[in-house]
Amino acid sequence: MDFSFTTKEEEFRLELRAWLEGNLPEGWLEGISNVSKDEGEYAVSLRNWQRKLYEGGWAAIAWPKKYGGREATLMEEIVYQQEMVRVKAPALVNYVGIHMVGPTLMQIGTDEQKAKYIQKILTGEEVWCQGYSEPNAGSDLSAIQTSAVKDGDRWIINGQKVWTSFGHLADRCFLLARTNRFDKKHKGITVFLLDMNQPGVETRPIIQMDGQHDFNEVYLNDAIAYDAEIVGEVDEGWKVTIALLMHERTGIGAQVFTLEQQFNELVGLAKELKEDDKPLLGNPLVRHTMVDLYTRSRGSLLNYYRNLTKTLKNGHPGAEGSMDKLMVSELTKELLSQSISLQGHKGVLWKEDAISSNSYWQDNYLYSFGQTIGGGTSEIQKNTIGERILGLPKDMGR
Amino acid sequence: MDFSLNQEQEMFRGYVRKYLDGAGQTKTARAYIEGETGSLRALLSGLAELGCTSINISEDYGGMGLGPLDLIPVLEETGRSLLPGLYLETNALAVPLLEKFGTEEQKGRYLAEIAAGTKTFSLAWLEPGGSYGPFGINLEARSLNGQLILSGVKTMVPDAELADHYIVLVRTGKGNRNEGITLVIVDRNETNLTLESQKNIDETRQLSALAFNDVEIPMGQVLGAMHQGWDALQEGLLSFNAALSAVIVGCMEKVVEMAAEYAKIREQFGQPIGRFQAIKHRIVDMKMDLETARSLAYYANWALESGAEDRVQAISCARIFATKAFVRISSDNIQIHGGIGFTEEIDCHLFVKRARFYENYLGSTEQYYKQAATALGW
Repeated sequence: MDFSFTTKEEEFRLELRAWLEGNLPEGWLEGISNVSKDEGEYAVSLRNWQRKLYEGGWAAIAWPKKYGGREATLMEEIVYQQEMVRVKAPALVNYVGIHMVGPTLMQIGTDEQKAKYIQKILTGEEVWCQGYSEPNAGSDLSAIQTSAVKDGDRWIINGQKVWTSFGHLADRCFLLARTNRFDKKHKGITVFLLDMNQPGVETRPIIQMDGQHDFNEVYLNDAIAYDAEIVGEVDEGWKVTIALLMHERTGIGAQVFTLEQQFNELVGLAKELKEDDKPLLGNPLVRHTMVDLYTRSRGSLLNYYRNLTKTLKNGHPGAEGSMDKLMVSELTKELLSQSISLQGHKGVLWKEDAISSNSYWQDNYLYSFGQTIGGGTSEIQKNTIGERILGLPKDMGR
Repeated sequence: MDFSLNQEQEMFRGYVRKYLDGAGQTKTARAYIEGETGSLRALLSGLAELGCTSINISEDYGGMGLGPLDLIPVLEETGRSLLPGLYLETNALAVPLLEKFGTEEQKGRYLAEIAAGTKTFSLAWLEPGGSYGPFGINLEARSLNGQLILSGVKTMVPDAELADHYIVLVRTGKGNRNEGITLVIVDRNETNLTLESQKNIDETRQLSALAFNDVEIPMGQVLGAMHQGWDALQEGLLSFNAALSAVIVGCMEKVVEMAAEYAKIREQFGQPIGRFQAIKHRIVDMKMDLETARSLAYYANWALESGAEDRVQAISCARIFATKAFVRISSDNIQIHGGIGFTEEIDCHLFVKRARFYENYLGSTEQYYKQAATALGW
């Protein structure tokens, strides 16, 4: 067993750390985040951040050199995530483009598609979103109803997408549409590279329970896509979807490291909060709860490392990613719930009135409800684990 | 990054698994419940022939000179089959204590025999008050003419009848907390020592009360420094608890396998019950507990072997999680099995009973919570 990082990996860490110190927005490392409340300004700042990452060579480290990446190893990606989590780096606005669309196009895109899209994904010039979920197709993607009908070299697309992250900022959408309604289930679905800046595409915001706006509804009314914007074969989009999901090789890493960091911050909170002038952490019940949380947080980090070892040995991730996702998201929710309880009645104070600066615990607590839903609900993860790891039979109806 | 057992360790696991499978897994434990100890003794000497008993003993005393991580495969496999006996107590508690605190004479006398599989150790700790704390140690050891005279009672001594020697916690002086307690090695067939067996809910393990009626032992039987036994014991318990976590991982692995296999074959409403999410998701939760216990146990043993800074919290947490999760999932296993799970016929109940046996074994869960919190600097 070996939990150390190699000298080369540590050098990589120091190089990134130095770059971050010089390039994060002013005051960021001191905890002064100047995130604008104005949505337009915020969007501009996120695009600027990606542009900076690109210019520093840090936008898509795992990509091949010929597409502008560093061909980073899996362990370097882990180091990258650890460092980004450590400084609570601003969001990567083109996450979908860099981690999913880009690598998928490199694998199965046409030469024209590669030439047209890949560089712009890297620079952040074109931001991408994912057009998967629909009101009646969340966990069951094969139930999508958005239709694409052929009309010469064009396709006319109608339907509605939902939970489209960053859809309001996106220029293009990696869209699943049904091209053959007589085929069942996974057959008859096609992937389009849809231009979001056209009259047939309307984006409406969904405001989350944490008051933020990441998600959108996207209405498609006679939106147009061209033959040249199809990835892979017509009606064979399911294979493309699977290929895309396989590119997420580091999976849930960032959330694992965030959980570790949040646990340490929770210890800080339990020391800072007083009860009869004594730190709450001295209270036996609180200590008990904290040891439990520590144990399970460590467990989830160690589970992640054990699965990572498997990925390093096999060269590809396995279904164990579902175990990491399930555990980390559920535990995150629990840890943040504890953070509210520890604050007593003051736990309900929100935004500028919250007792912690930036409403850190309240905002993260509210956000955590999405983590056990987004990217596949905990129930779906359990089905995957039950069926693919334990070999249990599929549910009825599937 | 490499968080896995190495090839040799996994290969060795294969040999042990094959051997225990050949013996019918829990068949030996069931025979032991019926009072038949012959097959257990045969099985244990077979394991010794495979090398299981010599793994972590120095080469000077006929061992392989390997570490805690190399014990894991054997510990897990003995857990899978609920093997009775004192392998854990001997190899993961007595051996590290002897290696670290034993005199040359003691090492020469005991380690070679343990390596050969001919001697086993148990621990005589609890007294009628039932406290695992230092205040609970009242068995008196008086010095007289270069000897120690022991008088008092120990209870719930594990597998006392199978043990050749006991490590006994005795009081050699007044003292606060950690002082005045000494570890001594006592032979089972010492005169003035009587055994009385106690009924155990886990019938695959025996418990006995030991009465010491002026048992005389030479000073050479003191393990470690006089009056400093409590601190020495804590060192030994780190090894023990890291190892116990690995045994429990083996038990839990078998429990999850049982539940999943049963859910595939048992049909209700015309379907295997594993199709129903109420069942499927419960088994997945069990599997999550298993893998988390495994990660924590492997790390604990790595931390022990490498002397990592966080080893005390790593080991306490592994023990806490494993003992609690084992109770939880072995109970769930009965629920998954339904009526048959409640019977003596199927192994489910044996795992529940073993889980309860381990829950507060050689230290209470609450004490380990405190130990973890203190180690974390809280």
